[in-house]
Amino acid sequence: MIRLRQYLRSGSPISPGVVVIAGLMLASAAWVAVRPVAQRDGLSFWVFARTHYQMYVPVADRWREAGGHRLDVALLSADALPRRLIASMHAGTHMADLVEIERSMASQVFSGPIDGIGLIDLTDRLHAEGLYDRFNEPSFAPWTVSGRVFGLPHDVHPVLLCYRADLVEEAGIDITSLTTWASFKEAMRAMVVDLDGDGRPDRYPLSLSETHLDQIEALLLQAGGGLFDIDGVPTLASDVNAATLAEITTWLTGPGRIAGDAPEFSASGNRLRLEGYVVCSLMSDWLTSVWESDLPQLEGKLRLMPLPAWEPGGRRTSVWGGTMIGIPKTTPDPEQAWAVAKELYLSEPLARELYERAGIISPVRALWDRGWYAAPRAYFGGQRTGRLYLEQAPDVPRRVSSPFDTIAKAGLQDVVIQLKRHAEETGVYDAAALQPVAKQLLEAAEARVRWHMNRNVFVRERSP
Amino acid sequence: MNHHAAQSRAAYLFLTPFLALFVVFLIYPLVQSLWLAFQQTHGPSITRYVGLDNFKSIAVDRLFWKAFWNTAVFALASVCIQLPIALGLAMLLNRPDVRGRAFFRLIFFSPALVGLVFVAVLFGLIFEKRTGLLNVTLHAVAGFDPEFPWLQQYVMPALIIAALWLYAGFNMVFFLAALQNVSRDLLEAATVDGAGPLRRFLHVTLPAIRPVGSFLVLLSLIGSFQLFELPYILLGGGGPDNQGLTVVMYLYQAGFDAGDLGYASAIGWTIAILLGGFAVAQRYVSALDER
Repeated sequence: MIRLRQYLRSGSPISPGVVVIAGLMLASAAWVAVRPVAQRDGLSFWVFARTHYQMYVPVADRWREAGGHRLDVALLSADALPRRLIASMHAGTHMADLVEIERSMASQVFSGPIDGIGLIDLTDRLHAEGLYDRFNEPSFAPWTVSGRVFGLPHDVHPVLLCYRADLVEEAGIDITSLTTWASFKEAMRAMVVDLDGDGRPDRYPLSLSETHLDQIEALLLQAGGGLFDIDGVPTLASDVNAATLAEITTWLTGPGRIAGDAPEFSASGNRLRLEGYVVCSLMSDWLTSVWESDLPQLEGKLRLMPLPAWEPGGRRTSVWGGTMIGIPKTTPDPEQAWAVAKELYLSEPLARELYERAGIISPVRALWDRGWYAAPRAYFGGQRTGRLYLEQAPDVPRRVSSPFDTIAKAGLQDVVIQLKRHAEETGVYDAAALQPVAKQLLEAAEARVRWHMNRNVFVRERSP
Repeated sequence: MNHHAAQSRAAYLFLTPFLALFVVFLIYPLVQSLWLAFQQTHGPSITRYVGLDNFKSIAVDRLFWKAFWNTAVFALASVCIQLPIALGLAMLLNRPDVRGRAFFRLIFFSPALVGLVFVAVLFGLIFEKRTGLLNVTLHAVAGFDPEFPWLQQYVMPALIIAALWLYAGFNMVFFLAALQNVSRDLLEAATVDGAGPLRRFLHVTLPAIRPVGSFLVLLSLIGSFQLFELPYILLGGGGPDNQGLTVVMYLYQAGFDAGDLGYASAIGWTIAILLGGFAVAQRYVSALDER
């Protein structure tokens, strides 16, 4: 038998250096294995919004100083948080005791079997403690799966129409009298103008494009449509969706075009807004603070008004965005996590700060009469924006989170693009004529969603 | 124990570290992924055996075939557009009478230094409607529509152009190296025999650089079927109407967005089988050609 010592002496590949490296590797592995795990100090809390983080850290500091809850708030990027969350839920990697989840993450979080959802079911606690009735009820909808609630809602997020008052006044249009989209389209066509004389319009009344899916979904919800019903059944191919998309297509293209593409959250979109390329934008309450921060040059030039309705006397608002706080099942102390969640989301000082910092109104209805919501806001020409949003809050449409939300949205996106292409290829720009085509395209998209639902054994198991 | 047995044992001892890593990091995941392909999963922990359902679903999954088609078109463009341009650049910069050859070689190669993510961000700005460099320039010069929607209606051409900018210079370097090894004696002999530039290229240069060309074709095809970062960043996903969806991106969406690692594994194996089939067919055709 050839011994190790002989190898070492005979200049074999296992040199003393290799032995030292291997020894270090084994020693360090042993050290890591026996090292005591650091004891956690209180609860950890992941958030994705900087504004929320800036609000919660001083609160956590105050609690710590007062000997109350010990809360460690961590700001994760909006891309990183869902990845970590899903990795934690699927593979058991480290997870915070509390997480804020944005609506776009919901389809990932709520996929799979209902008992596989990595968050604690809060339904019984909410009803037992009488909390359910204290919140604006539709705000629970995105966080509800099969009748079970998995998070406390953070917001209401009504949508209003934001317009450039300076440009509208210059054009001599009384925009506040335009109470329906039909009257808006008719009157605001006058604002499609060629400013540089090159024969192409340089200004459009509305910021909207076939790729602005969030806004298009908001318009569908306003009209009474949507992607799923309350039971999670796909409703993509509903008549109201078909009629609404057909009408929107006439805004996007053809002789009656009133919409220009100025994307949100981009430098190019902001530049176009400053240049007055678009006059009006759909604006959820959270977006007001984003504009205030990114477009200070527009201070005093903007105003808010209720959305024009789809029908006379119809709904003047919609909903866009949404966040909740959830408690992962892995938390060792769910009671303390629940107590912290309630304190953060029911606190009046925090609700006030949320409004003053981020423009977001609280879903806690008892706070809606507070005076600070009536403070004039210079950015919007002194309008009491909190009140304007609160007036519409009770009418905010209900939307449902489905594990197939992403697939349905992708289908909707395809339909909008194909419908616009169809109009341009055939030269048909009449909403009534486009509606059957929209219906046909929506039916194909809905069939694809149903195909995905049918092949998912976990979702089939959910059904009674 | 005799000396021969001891030597055999020593050989196995030396092989053990490699084999251990090979089994743990390649064979085991491969077998596991094959097993996963027959299951529907919600993350790795919740699984249901579904037999061949995943593969049956793929066969009729419109989006998978769209992604496969997109990827194939991109691969074809890589081979048919990118490589000829790279060869053309290489031949131009291989001419001794071109001044500043070294500088231009560096310029054309430099996009490869920055990587796909940078290129995607850069071309995102270039292709913007109204404010993008391309539309602004074309509008100023030729009255072109400033709202021309490159990234909405011309997704694949936009991807091909962005990749061309990145990889043409990269492939050029390989061709340059190959061209510098083409026998000058043969070229001079062909010239003496009265061969013009085209015939010299077809009958001397091209056969000489053929091994490098074949290698680049293979590299381009493999790279194309791994395409992910460029459309993911440039389009923020598959793009409008999924015109920029690639097979790897679809696999990623199925496995890590939807959490169905089983379906993602089945997609991976389907791609492997399809590409394996193409590779065998390509070898067969090449063998026929050589005969």
